[in-house]
Amino acid sequence: MRPLLPSILLTGCAMGGGAMHQATLVGQCAAADAACSRRHPQAPIAIGTHFYPEVGTELAGTTTPSLVLESAAPDVVAVEDGALVARKAGASAVLISTDDRSIVDFVHVWVAPVTKITLARRDGERIQGAIALAVGEDVTLVPALWNGAQRLSGDGEARWTATATEPATAAGPVSILRDGSADRRRLRARTPGTTTITVALGDITATVDVEVVP
Amino acid sequence: MIGRGIPGSHAATIAIAVAALMAITACHPMLAAESPAPPGRSARLDAVSGFWGVTSYRLELSQGVALAVSCTYGGPCEKLVATSDDPAIAFVRAASFQALRPVGYAGNQQPAAAVVIVGKAPGTTMIRLRSKDGGRDVVVTVIPPPAPLATAAVAREPGSCPRRS
Repeated sequence: MRPLLPSILLTGCAMGGGAMHQATLVGQCAAADAACSRRHPQAPIAIGTHFYPEVGTELAGTTTPSLVLESAAPDVVAVEDGALVARKAGASAVLISTDDRSIVDFVHVWVAPVTKITLARRDGERIQGAIALAVGEDVTLVPALWNGAQRLSGDGEARWTATATEPATAAGPVSILRDGSADRRRLRARTPGTTTITVALGDITATVDVEVVP
Repeated sequence: MIGRGIPGSHAATIAIAVAALMAITACHPMLAAESPAPPGRSARLDAVSGFWGVTSYRLELSQGVALAVSCTYGGPCEKLVATSDDPAIAFVRAASFQALRPVGYAGNQQPAAAVVIVGKAPGTTMIRLRSKDGGRDVVVTVIPPPAPLATAAVAREPGSCPRRS
């Protein structure tokens, strides 16, 4: 637990209104980031991922006091350094308290396993086929986590790999570049050829073919 | 004034009985749930009634679930304090409710007096609420969450019907 500092750089969307109608948990997403994995409201958090909440109160006549988060079931959802860490499937109340430990509100948070990964562009459009890039172009891809038909929230440390098929060199035609987030990657087309990009979170994977043309 | 035909000693007995009845039934605050249960989980507060009215409360709560409970006695309870006999099963904390509730009939309002009860581990314990207006005991039973659907594996043997394991 630690006090949560409001951030003017981040805007979010409601993850859930409090049961006492006095506070909300909001995912930290930039306003222009349509594909932010923390954006989706009311979604369960994927096991093994982190959810970074902003907490706001809806109290008349007062600004938001200094608040702390506490989990009712830390084996389901733990609170670590201000983030909600999804540990196992289930539900847990996340208590929103003031410094004197009196509870302002609480939100029941659900955790679910990942059964599928899909890829989307940063504007939110889902990738459904191969991607063609000219040399020097780049595209940012974002993995979306699912439990069946249920979209999940949370940031996971996804593993990104490229397997070049033509030419079959170690370097490959595409570079995978980090952009500062745990899950997103920017693909930069370097040389003509084809490659398969694989994104893995635990045992669940998604792939997309990329062709680079001169 | 003593009614005609009722001896004075009997009237005194009746007055004492009425006073005792009022003391039993009217000098205890009432509790009410102030938040919903999440889907598939339990957070149910029931009043346990006897001949004289509500004698106590019982609460069924799923593990990991929280419930806000308000206390009233002609208005929000004054100086409300709550303790749990076994915080490892269910703990209780003061709630900061901003909502104003009417007090008496003079038009005054005061912030709602409430606590939040949280189910920590399966078992049964007692939450004791005490206030200037009297006390209430809540027997809390914390139940485990239902098993995830994925753990109910279906096994099929050749030539047989599916069998749940």
